[in-house]
Amino acid sequence: MASRKDALLTYLSAVTQSRRHFTDFLFKVILAIVIMIVVSPFFLVLIQVASIGFGQIFGIGPGIGLEFFTTFPGVGLEGGIRNALVGTVELIALASSVGIPLSVFGAVYITEYTQPGWTRAIVEFASDVLAGIPSIVFGAFGFAFLVDFLHLGMGLVAGSLTLAFMMIPTVLRTTQEALRAVPMSLREASLALGATKWSTTWNVTLRAAFPGLITGVLLAIGRVMGETAPLIFTAGNSLSVPTELTGSGSWVASMPYTIWAYISDPREYLQVKAHGTALALMIMVLTVDVVANIISRKVTRRLV
Amino acid sequence: MSETENQAVEPQVKETAGSQIQKMKQRLSDPIIDFIDADKSGKTDMLGKIFLLVPAFASTLIIILILAFLWIEATPIFTDPAGGPGIIISPTWDPNRDLYGISVFIIGSLFCTMIAIGLAVPLGIGGAIFLSEFCPMRLRQPIKMITEMMAAIPSIVYGLWAYVVMVPFIKNVLAPGLQSNPLTAWMPWFQGDTNGLSLLAGGVILAIMLLPTIVTIANDALQTVPRNLREASLALGATQSETARKIVISAALPGVGAAVVLALGRAVGETMAVLLVTGNSLQIPYTLFDPTYVMTSIITNQLGYAFVFPLWRSALFAIGLVLMIMSICFTLTAKMFVRWGMKTRGYI
Repeated sequence: MASRKDALLTYLSAVTQSRRHFTDFLFKVILAIVIMIVVSPFFLVLIQVASIGFGQIFGIGPGIGLEFFTTFPGVGLEGGIRNALVGTVELIALASSVGIPLSVFGAVYITEYTQPGWTRAIVEFASDVLAGIPSIVFGAFGFAFLVDFLHLGMGLVAGSLTLAFMMIPTVLRTTQEALRAVPMSLREASLALGATKWSTTWNVTLRAAFPGLITGVLLAIGRVMGETAPLIFTAGNSLSVPTELTGSGSWVASMPYTIWAYISDPREYLQVKAHGTALALMIMVLTVDVVANIISRKVTRRLV
Repeated sequence: MSETENQAVEPQVKETAGSQIQKMKQRLSDPIIDFIDADKSGKTDMLGKIFLLVPAFASTLIIILILAFLWIEATPIFTDPAGGPGIIISPTWDPNRDLYGISVFIIGSLFCTMIAIGLAVPLGIGGAIFLSEFCPMRLRQPIKMITEMMAAIPSIVYGLWAYVVMVPFIKNVLAPGLQSNPLTAWMPWFQGDTNGLSLLAGGVILAIMLLPTIVTIANDALQTVPRNLREASLALGATQSETARKIVISAALPGVGAAVVLALGRAVGETMAVLLVTGNSLQIPYTLFDPTYVMTSIITNQLGYAFVFPLWRSALFAIGLVLMIMSICFTLTAKMFVRWGMKTRGYI
């Protein structure tokens, strides 16, 4: 105890011995306060959403707990959010099945089959631009192109295609990074054994890059899971699950849209439901994000 | 001497010209012959290469489609006498009277972004410096993890929090407090009644959403500064904070610049959180507590009703086009910063 006190005193006398040392000390203290301010919103948001939403999704009773996820909203929106949960899962599944192959194959082509040059530069630049486009512009584009021009109509297909477009840049760039990190010797060994480029790519290179690829896919899924703006004009909203692929039967609800609709509603009990939905969405998104982080950390440790 | 050389060369040229078609034919037929001769795995290899070409250009195709559709949809307002390119500076938005001035939204967006950047850049860069220079090893990983999780929280959840917590706080605590305090009550930017839905709320929630982006990218930039620069500065007797402020920051300036520009792009394009808290009123904000209307909000709020009125819809797509052009500019600027950074390190 005494030694710690001594150390503190020594430190304090060291920092006050000259003006420069004191400025140094002050700078560090201010930055420590700044980092606390920077991370505090995370806890503020989490506490607010959890304090109201926790009872809604973990409680036991009629309409809350598990029943919150297994009942449809029904008359006056007094039921659960099964429509939103199923809608989000369906949208993400369909978006992934279109967006992931498209971006993974694209990344494989530009890293494995092209030399550095204008082809690669164009694709990389396009995906960087795509990553920066505001989500509402994706929504407006999905509305103009998919809904209006291609006559797909609002619904599951148009909504998930719009989300698929948004997934492309994340998955493409992370897959590219993962493929680049695969040592050249692996490819050369495979080619020397007489394998074609195609089978080398699929059986050796992609297998080695797989963890990095999964990280990118999970990050992209986490990102589009919380998107509201692209879905407003492309997916519509619905109080039940979609039954058709086109037409008004395919309109689909999603969790972010449900939060928006409930929070803008003056009815008191809908605010509570909005918090419950937000907590559920946050848990889903953060789980996906943490899993992605763990995988990517494991991979970097293995490679280094 | 030269004549004979020319004579000797000429027939050769003719020969190559004659065999040009032959060569072209061969070049076309070679792959087909190769393909027919190849075994099963060879055939997959060749077909695969062609098949991969399509997804490779998907992102380029989507960019072109987005630009084309925004342009086509926005053309009517730019060619119509009621609109014209003047809508960008015209301040009145009233679709009932065929007035489609979008400058009020551009100004709203700019003000919101300015507040957000003004708050988020100093805090974010400060946080990044602490994280990379002074942070104890034990705390570094958790803080990084929290900032990554902050970036993953959906914008609608931030919007919900701002709407439920921050807006009442501004209405009940901040605005009365600032307006009754003699030190701040005279300031013109604190005037006006408010219901909490204001420019300030939009700016602050945007700043919170930008922080993780700035901290993460700026921290990466600071960490790539070579260790010997820091050591040289410390060896000359500079304190740690002097090293961080004068040496590390200036060496990482391109990366920090890229972080700020990317955050700027995100701030202008952010939709849901801002939509919920800025009050969405068609006026140019004069004080921090005035409600405002940003570019993304007007599209979200009105495209649903407007799509049957050609001019109204076209004006909304014109706003989308402005947003798109802005985001391309930000991406280009960020790329320039990254290039500059690579140049200072001697990579290119």
